[in-house]
Amino acid sequence: MSLFSAMAVSASGLAAQRTRAELLVENLANAETTRTPEGGPYRRKDAVFASQPMAPSFSSLLESHLQEGVAVQEISVDMRDPERRYLPGHPDAGPDGYVAFPRINPAEDMVDLLGASRGFEANVAAVSSVKDMIMRSIDLFK
Amino acid sequence: MLDGLSQVLERYMDLLSSRQKLVASNIANADTPGYKTKDIDFQSEFRSALHGIAPAPIEIGGLKVRNDGNNVSMDREARLLAENGMRFNLASNLLRSRIQAVRAALQPGGNT
Repeated sequence: MSLFSAMAVSASGLAAQRTRAELLVENLANAETTRTPEGGPYRRKDAVFASQPMAPSFSSLLESHLQEGVAVQEISVDMRDPERRYLPGHPDAGPDGYVAFPRINPAEDMVDLLGASRGFEANVAAVSSVKDMIMRSIDLFK
Repeated sequence: MLDGLSQVLERYMDLLSSRQKLVASNIANADTPGYKTKDIDFQSEFRSALHGIAPAPIEIGGLKVRNDGNNVSMDREARLLAENGMRFNLASNLLRSRIQAVRAALQPGGNT
């Protein structure tokens, strides 16, 4: 049944949007983080999406490749210079009294988070619609 | 055992599920840079589906392209998602009534 592969496509959308939301939440949580294992302040991360043909399942080998799922192709790290704030008392302050803070704008992350949340909801709607169609097909037996 | 109309309904439901797959792809790729909305020309594909030809997806023009090269319109996809679901619902109800008619004929003296 080809409808199950439509669910796989929507599931890939759900996974991608969830990954994006996780990164955005991580950015918000680390908006003031000045220490990381790699050294220096935290750097903003974002997901880059790329469409990809769904892995051929047994039944779809016979069909043309109609549908494309989505996957997180890479996680881009913001390499801009950190924001410098004058805080001489801070333990991470340099000799000039400036502390490097992550260049994170919480408003930007909140807006992206809303986008990810809406994208997730749209995929949920697609799953439930396709599920309804599958149930309708099964009801033909009754 | 089932008549020609049931065969047509079956093709119709097949084509609707193909279209629903494309809608699901478009929704999943709503934030993918450079992705272009895909759809099938339902009328002409339905005619060729009656001859057993698989549908070929085409890119839809006339949609607003965003800065990242993506032109998925969520309104359009939501409408198509609902429309396909309702059309499928209608077709499956029709097909079920055909199947029930055959079943009723098979029942010995029953009125189910």
